[in-house]
Amino acid sequence: MLKSAYVHFKRPMPMLAAPIPDNDADRLAALRELLILDTPPEERFDKVARFAAEEFDMPIALLSLVDENRQWFKANVGMNVCETARDTSFCAHAILQPDIFVIPDARADARFADNPIVTGEPHVVFYAGAPLTLPSGFTIGTLCLIDHKPRSLDATELAILATLRDLLLEELSQRTEAANG
Amino acid sequence: MAENPVRNLNMLLVEEQPLLRRTVALTARTLGLGTIHEAASMEAAERLLREHSFDGAVISIDCGALRGCVYNLALLDRMRNGMYVSDSDIPIAVMAENATTGLLNDLRERHISRVILKPFRAKVLLDAFASFQQPVAR
Repeated sequence: MLKSAYVHFKRPMPMLAAPIPDNDADRLAALRELLILDTPPEERFDKVARFAAEEFDMPIALLSLVDENRQWFKANVGMNVCETARDTSFCAHAILQPDIFVIPDARADARFADNPIVTGEPHVVFYAGAPLTLPSGFTIGTLCLIDHKPRSLDATELAILATLRDLLLEELSQRTEAANG
Repeated sequence: MAENPVRNLNMLLVEEQPLLRRTVALTARTLGLGTIHEAASMEAAERLLREHSFDGAVISIDCGALRGCVYNLALLDRMRNGMYVSDSDIPIAVMAENATTGLLNDLRERHISRVILKPFRAKVLLDAFASFQQPVAR
């Protein structure tokens, strides 16, 4: 009987919305102090995103900044939008991690399998995000890589991604100095 | 089984692109591959080669915008002729935009251990530097 058969089916675990860290208000203040949100593209950031996309042969590479309700892309290779919602954002998860956050296959990961950016555009399957942590200790976003197929990164590749993240942090720290003038 | 101790090698990278150069040098340090000295040009490389002894080098031989020049092998010749502080037989890998039979013959004559073709990736350059840790059969 259909009714009894139905109760035996397990419902898939729903997508895990990106948690909000306890220090989010202070984190957002640190991000906004940079005066970088909604500013035009800058070559010094774009070139790092381009390099990352080419180095790892990824269709998408982003410098993503996690704002209150959105993630906004300061540098963008391969995405045709400049921002997406925070609650579906992988980067909003990555900013809570102490190290590079890697999801080899989002379709096989209960936290992300029914995330609309996995089931629909831009069809995220592989994700790696290196948290951008300022000297103040606040993590404002990530340098992230996305592919439409399952992938993994070996130790050398993880180290290269961390280096590119560090180079972006150097650029961002120059921006902090300029903002504090 | 005792692990082979990793030697702290002093190595040279001659490459025009600053982001590639920087990424390779910093990542090599993170991975404990040794110290990579960076040179953006042949002239900068010569200055370093006069002052430091290197255990290996990765050298871009493309001429860039220089008219009429396809490859610049002069630095390799001077290194192999022992005109700098380093041993004349250190392992050298070469970066080239593309490889012709003539170029490969020229490089073979100069005992080049590896040719790296475009697209140049940091990972491939790091693999080349890591290979300098291995004793080279000469």
